[in-house]
Order: sequence, then C-alpha cells, then structure tokens
Amino acid sequence: MTDTQTPLRDPSFMQALLDLVIPPGRDGRMPGAGSLRLEATVAADIEADDRLGPVVARGLESVRDAALARDPGGFVALSGSERLAVVNGLGAKDGMLMFAIARHLYTAYYQHPRVLEALGEPARPPFPEGFEVEPTDPRLLELLQVRARR
Amino acid sequence: MSNEPVGVLIVGAGASGAAFAWSMAETGTSILCLEQGPWMHQKDYPTNHLDWESRAMGPFATSPNVRNLPYDYPVNEEQSDISPLMYNAVGGSTILWAAHFPRLQPCDFRVKSDDGVAADWPVDYAALEPYFAVNDRMMGIAGLAGDPNYPYHEPPLPPLPLGRGGNLMAEGFEKLGWHWWPSESAIITREYEGRAPCINLGPCTSGCSQGARASTDITYWPVARRKGVEVRTGCRVKEVTVRPDGLADGVLYYAAEGVLQEQKAEIVVLACNGIGTPRLLLNSKSPQHPYGLANSSGLVGKNLMFHPCAMVTGVFDEPLQGRRGPIGCSFWSHEFYRTDLERGFVRGYSLQARRGLGPAQTALWGMSRGSIPWGEGHHEAYDRLYDHNAGLIVIGEDLPEETNTVTLDPELTDSHGIPAPKLNYRLSANSRKMLDHGIERASEALKAAGAVETMADPLMRGAGWHLLGTARMGTDPKTSVVNEWGRAHDVKNLFIIDGSIFVTAGAVNPTSTIQALALYIADRIKQNIEVLFE
Repeated sequence: MTDTQTPLRDPSFMQALLDLVIPPGRDGRMPGAGSLRLEATVAADIEADDRLGPVVARGLESVRDAALARDPGGFVALSGSERLAVVNGLGAKDGMLMFAIARHLYTAYYQHPRVLEALGEPARPPFPEGFEVEPTDPRLLELLQVRARR
Repeated sequence: MSNEPVGVLIVGAGASGAAFAWSMAETGTSILCLEQGPWMHQKDYPTNHLDWESRAMGPFATSPNVRNLPYDYPVNEEQSDISPLMYNAVGGSTILWAAHFPRLQPCDFRVKSDDGVAADWPVDYAALEPYFAVNDRMMGIAGLAGDPNYPYHEPPLPPLPLGRGGNLMAEGFEKLGWHWWPSESAIITREYEGRAPCINLGPCTSGCSQGARASTDITYWPVARRKGVEVRTGCRVKEVTVRPDGLADGVLYYAAEGVLQEQKAEIVVLACNGIGTPRLLLNSKSPQHPYGLANSSGLVGKNLMFHPCAMVTGVFDEPLQGRRGPIGCSFWSHEFYRTDLERGFVRGYSLQARRGLGPAQTALWGMSRGSIPWGEGHHEAYDRLYDHNAGLIVIGEDLPEETNTVTLDPELTDSHGIPAPKLNYRLSANSRKMLDHGIERASEALKAAGAVETMADPLMRGAGWHLLGTARMGTDPKTSVVNEWGRAHDVKNLFIIDGSIFVTAGAVNPTSTIQALALYIADRIKQNIEVLFE
C-alpha cells in the first residue's frame, strides 16, 4: 500500500476484507469473495453511495490502523481470526461499516459467473433464452374446474 | 413540433392515458398526449444483462427517489409509512410492474352500503364490465375463467403455470379448504397480437425484454398512434391553464429542451395517477381556482390510499425453482376479502402467492432481516434460503382518510423548479389489525404447504405501487372532485381518468379497474359530446 492509497483502493487490503465477509465455502463449492477480483467494483459502488460511503471510508481507515498496531505488515499479514478480531474490536461486527460493505459485496458476489455456476444457475442473462417453469398440477386444475362459476 | 390547439389533450401516457386515447381516437378529433418520460426499448431492460439485479435496483428501480432520473420528479416521503413507486415514460408504471391484473370485485363498489364505512362508488361493476372485457383483450390477459368470487368472464389467454412453488402453496390452501385461484395477469402465454409469449424471465418489475408482459407502450399506444393520436415525450406539464370563466383551456409545459410552451385544448384530461394528478391540480392555482384547480371541495390530494402489504415467507426443504416465472403472482386467495367483524376489523385482504427472488436479491433480503450473516456461516444460511423460499403477500384494503394526503412541498422541486409532492400517510389501526390477521393466516397456509419455517415482514415499506383516491368520484360536489364519469365538478372540460378517482381501494391491484374506468369515461364523453359543457 502506498502512503496516499486509501484502504478502499488498496487491492490487497480489500481482497482480505472481502474474504472475511464472504469466505470460501467449507466444501470448496463457493469461492471466497476475495478471489473474484471484485474489489474495484465494490469500492466504486461504495464511493458512489452518498449515505454510507463516507462511513465506510472512515471505518476502513480505523481497521487499517488497528491492524498496523498489531502487525507492521497490516491487515493482509494477519490470520483470519486476527482479522476478525480487529474488525470486531472496532465494534464493527453489528455496525454500519460491515453492513455497508456487505450490502455492496453481496450484490456483486451473487452476480459473478463463478458464483452463479456454483449455485447451479446459468451464468447468463435471463433474456433471450428464458427458463422453463413447472406446469400447473393437473389435479389442482381439476379441483378448480369443479368449483368454477359457469 | 406544433403547438396548434387540439381537441383533446391528455397529460400522462401510462395505463389510463393510453386506454383513453385509444378509445377517443375513433372520434377523429385531434388528440395529443404529453408525457414527461421517454419511449422505452426492450433491449435496454435489465434482463438483457448478467447484472440484471443491480440494474433493477438502480436505473430501473421502482422508486423515483432511488432512480432519480432526469424525467423523474422527487416525492417527499419522510412523513409516509409507505414509499410511493411509479415510472415516468410512455407506458407509465406499466413499464415496471408485476402485471397482476385482478378486477375490483362487485362488492368493492358498495362499501358504505355493505359495511357502513367510507363511501359507495357512483358506478358499479356491471357498468364497467364491458370495459373490463375490452381492456382484457387489448392488454392480453392470461387467466382461468370461473373464479366464484367474480361474475363469469373469460380471459383471452390460458393461465400462467403455477410453477413448483405455486403448486406447493396451492396444496396448502387445499388442505385448509381456503379459496385460491390462478391469477389473472397481463402476461401473454402464447403468441398474441404480434407479441411473443412469456419465457419466464422472472423480474417483470424491471421491464420485460420479451415484450410478453403488457405495458401500454406496446399494447394501446401503437394502435392509438396508427389512428392519429400524437404522443409528445420529454414534456413536463407545469400547470393547467384556465379561461376567464374558469374552464380549462390548455396547459403550460416544459418541452425537452427546457423551454416553457403553451398548448391549448378544448378538453384537458389528467392521467398522472394518485400523486401526479393532485400535484398538478394543486400547482394550477388561479384567481378563478385559488385553492388549486377543481378543488372547491378541498378534497384534492386528500384520502390517499395505498394497499398496505405484509409479506410472509416460508422456507421449504425442497428447491422451488423460485426465480423462474413472472414474479408477481401465481395465484390469489380471496378467502378473507370481505368483512367479518369477529376478526376485529372492517373489510379485508387478498393473499397473493409470489415467486422467488434472484441470487443477489435473496442475499440482500436475508441480510436485511438478519438471516444471512457475513463471515462464518454465510454460505450455510444462504443455501437454506436461496431457491428454498416462497411467500404470500397480504394486500389489505386501505380505507380513505382525509389525513392521508398529497400536498405540495414548500421547498422540494423537480428539475424544472415545479413544486414536488409531499406525502403524509399513516397506517390506520384498522389496516394494522388487518395485516396482522393476514400474517397469521398466511403463516398457517405456508405451514400447511410444508414450510419448515415462516418469517414475516409486517409492513412492506417499499410497496407503494398503488396510488389511489386523491381526486375521488362522486355525485356530490361537496364530497368529491369528479362526477360519475370523471368530469371535474368545478371545470366542465377537465377530466380525470387515473387511480386518483377511486372512491375506495378494494384489496386487489388496481390497474385493470383504472383502465376500465378510463375506457368507460371515454365512452361517456363520446355519448355526451353534444351537451358536454352544458
């Protein structure tokens, strides 16, 4: 990280943070968010968020400073449990900081092709192929026909 | 562009403006519609893109305060329990709607007579029935004939498939012996009038790339324009102007280039719905109409009704293919539609079976209610909900109250400096009891269907789709704004044809009835054209 780089625009810092928010799945099916190169997208979304953006920017500076106090290598040099301890130590576990990051990360993560494929969804726009839908149960339709007004 | 005087000037190209223009076109008179938004293009809708969910929450969000597009106007909703939703374009809010298309029931037109509350309508279901039928054909309605709660009618197209979740939930209603019926939807299920059938894209409320879900830009407007109606886009109306005798003589509007223009007309028709119409009337003060146009009753902007909604979600063990298929509604239940005083409230509600959310929206919804944490346990919590939930929306009948209002904000304006609307709306005690009852019954139905868990949102703040009642119909000029055929009591050549003229709200989505009313009013004008101003 350069001296002038904000945590939000520090790729290594953000990848480590995003992996904390959405870690890799235990069974290996779901990727960790830090591995998907979403940091620039998430950072841009947060910066464009007039309400929560400033809260996140300030909060991430606090995370960076707290991590540096633990280890000169900063947040990326910490283990997973240490990163979590730093974030929780700032009272961020239930606060606006992590809510705001998760809000923007969830949106980006769950539209990523690798994530969609891992969910069993086609990694394509809905249009033009569309989807098949299970037809109405004929037995239910027969029941309605009996009750129908003529 | 010519500002030559026209016979009929319509403000707003949405659900009602389009139907009205189409009907009036047969008269051969010159008809102009001014619309502040643009023409839309199916290739631009979110479902053409992989990030369709982001787009649906941004430039295609249903709230104008979220979209904040140049052709939107802001709405001060700080004093409202429900956020208003709308879209501004040719097609209006039918651009971003679920296309759920129930009609008001016959009993909805006589609430005062039946239950002693609110007021009766000056028209009834029978008067509107022919117009419901015409409108069903024009919009392309899919449904199953024979719902015992309605007079018999045949939708022109077969119903949408319930899908796995719908089939499951319907079984729950069967077990309880409760009414349910496949919904009528403005979504075509086979090729119809040159439009291709639904291919189950999912998020109808962010625009239909297939063109299977109706919007008036692809149903009424092409036909109306072929008959000579002009639609002028990018035109924001500032006020309705009046002659010395108080009759309307046209409008002032900002054209696309931002220049104020004057348009004269013999008849002015407002089709801006329950917020836009009172806003325009209140912005049209003059010496002849010092409290706003058509407002001698003082009721313009009062009696604002939404349909307050609660949502109950059931979590099921089996996958439900939830995001596939039109999101709006697979079936409705009117089991609790009418008054039963033992329930502790008057009037009633519908239950609507909804399909599932997309991957990102599921995550955000789960986060907002604390069900999907970040960090440890995230994936397990997500997997439990995604594609494993289906829900019932409780849609309650909101009774009119004069304290629920649309007024003009003293400070907030749109991009042209025109005062913006301000809402004051509080959920009534009756509505609260109604929703609470609905939440219990919906939970019961979902459990009967096999849900292993249910969770409730007791009031969906972002569910202000239906904007009603702010310039209501009636025969008495002291207690209503327009007469039984939409003509302003105070201004004989001013008509209102949108949701603002609803007397009561019923407990179903209003667009079918709004459009039937617009067609009905057009016919009344045609029948009375010789004596219109007497």
